[in-house]
Amino acid sequence: MKWKKLGKIFDPREHKLPNNCFAFAQSPQTLVFDDFVRVYFSTREKDSTEKYLSHISFVDFSKNFEKILEVSENAVIPLGNAGCFDEHGIFPLNILKVSDKLLGYICGWSRRTSVSVETAIGLAVSDDDGLTFRRIGDGPVLSASLHEPFLVGDPFVQIYDGLYHMWYIYGTRWFRHSEAAPPDRVYKIGHAASADGFSWKKTGKQLIADKLNSDECQALPTVIRFNDQYHMFFCYRQAIGFREKKDSAYRIGYASSHDLINWVRDDASAGLDTSAGQWDSDMLCYPHVFHCDGNVYMLYNGNEFGRFGFGLALLDH
Amino acid sequence: MNTLPAREFRWKKLGKVFDPTRVEGPEWMKEFAQAPSVLIFDDFIRVYFSCRPLPDKNGQYVSYTGYVDLDRNNLFDVVNISERPILDLGATGTFDEFGIYPVSVIRNGDEILAFYGGWTRCESVPFNVSIGLAVSRDHGETFTRLGNGPVLTHSVHEPFIISGPKIRFYNGMWHLWYIAGRRWIESGGRMEPVYKIRKAHSNDGIHWEKEDRDLIPDKLDENEAQASPDVFYFREQYHMFYCYRHGTDYRGPRGYRIGYASSDNLTDWIRDDSTVGLDISDSGWDNESIAYPHVFELDGQIFMFYLGNQVGRYGFGLAQLENA
Repeated sequence: MKWKKLGKIFDPREHKLPNNCFAFAQSPQTLVFDDFVRVYFSTREKDSTEKYLSHISFVDFSKNFEKILEVSENAVIPLGNAGCFDEHGIFPLNILKVSDKLLGYICGWSRRTSVSVETAIGLAVSDDDGLTFRRIGDGPVLSASLHEPFLVGDPFVQIYDGLYHMWYIYGTRWFRHSEAAPPDRVYKIGHAASADGFSWKKTGKQLIADKLNSDECQALPTVIRFNDQYHMFFCYRQAIGFREKKDSAYRIGYASSHDLINWVRDDASAGLDTSAGQWDSDMLCYPHVFHCDGNVYMLYNGNEFGRFGFGLALLDH
Repeated sequence: MNTLPAREFRWKKLGKVFDPTRVEGPEWMKEFAQAPSVLIFDDFIRVYFSCRPLPDKNGQYVSYTGYVDLDRNNLFDVVNISERPILDLGATGTFDEFGIYPVSVIRNGDEILAFYGGWTRCESVPFNVSIGLAVSRDHGETFTRLGNGPVLTHSVHEPFIISGPKIRFYNGMWHLWYIAGRRWIESGGRMEPVYKIRKAHSNDGIHWEKEDRDLIPDKLDENEAQASPDVFYFREQYHMFYCYRHGTDYRGPRGYRIGYASSDNLTDWIRDDSTVGLDISDSGWDNESIAYPHVFELDGQIFMFYLGNQVGRYGFGLAQLENA
């Protein structure tokens, strides 16, 4: 693959965002309309305890992405109720248009005491072209299970050959790399299938082989079909040191498949790497790949997990 | 044997059987003996229950599950107390890191299965619960998890607190009654959970299909909390004893009472608490609340274990059905 970087196209610090959000535009996810592209992203406020809450906002672009048409003025979806899986954040919200329905798959965050967070995947629907979404219920549609014990998140849903497919991540362990350190997490990419987008059956295996080591963290799978093949992009990093060390930080990985279940990892083909001196000099993460007017694009975050916005790349066929 | 269903149960209270605060027990069994669940052996019955060490410096508890063995011919004669918890607490970040409570056991061939509530601690609300599964191959002395995650957990209409499992095997199928959280309500500076009795079924005991509906209509109000749905089959009918309490200010006289419902088909339940035949006592260890009933048959008699004041802090007691 060869990608042409088009640069950073959105910086949250340059816009007034609802919910007192002041920075971060993470994990961009698209909804392509006839005459514009809506990009949902997760942005953050600080609560009274100085901890972050992630909220969903969107920005509408012209179809060539050269012009920002509008930034959401109101909350797209409120955070969950007390004790619910998405009480402390939604990050990301993945959008799927199914005939006349608009589905939003929520990665919900809630805080724990012994570890920082737990996540699960919920479902919301929109009746107003994606301006707002409402949950179908207070609880998740996909969450922890016997062999995927925690941190089920990062949903990406597509329909292929009449079946709903969800790629997502699940945690395998929390561990301390030193006695004084808070627990760090390890997560891998999994898959589930569904006939209706609501009731899911997990495939029950790690989809993408580890490259770095068994503690490699794999996140945010995004899948697209072109040239008679399925292509998955994701990000991966070391389990520790990933915030401060460039060499341990997120990079974009790649795998391909003919059947959606068996994937061959080949990161060398991902075709996207860091750019020295740029906004994405140290980190590349949270890719989202989509079709638009005959082109294949990737939205992604750069340094500091998208604190300063997201950028765009165009696939060079 | 009688042929007609009893219109009203008559239970005779036989007294408290086990009080963890009155025995020189291990460190992990200082207080509480909650949610008794019985496994019958030739010479004794094993009663699993959940107990706690003293709270930590922040006043927080963890729960472990152990057992006592009672002489089959004299259920007030404790012949053995488990030396260790039947299951360690879960690993960091898992659903059962801070408690194994309650537990429901059942034989499955040579194995014994334990379905249990696993507790984790949260920030905005005090805790969350999911149901795990562990298996024993040493007659129920120790158990091993089937995996680090739960077998039954939160879903769209059951957003938190999946707890209180009661496992049964009827008509070639596994049936799991449990409770599901409905809402958290703030009262007196605390967050208090409201939960309702629900059910799932399974062919293999591992993959469950939820019925996704409340089984027992509320009696008090919409914030009634329902727990311990203990189902017992006799005289060609399914009988459910459970407990229920007010949603707030329940540490005291507004605490748990035992309720009753019956069903002919495991699907449709008729609540009729007036026939339960067991209430709080005028004085003594169960004069404020009674909770967590577990009914079992032993040598032709029908018994109920249940908890008294403070939800089993001072142990569990026994009642016998007089009009069996």
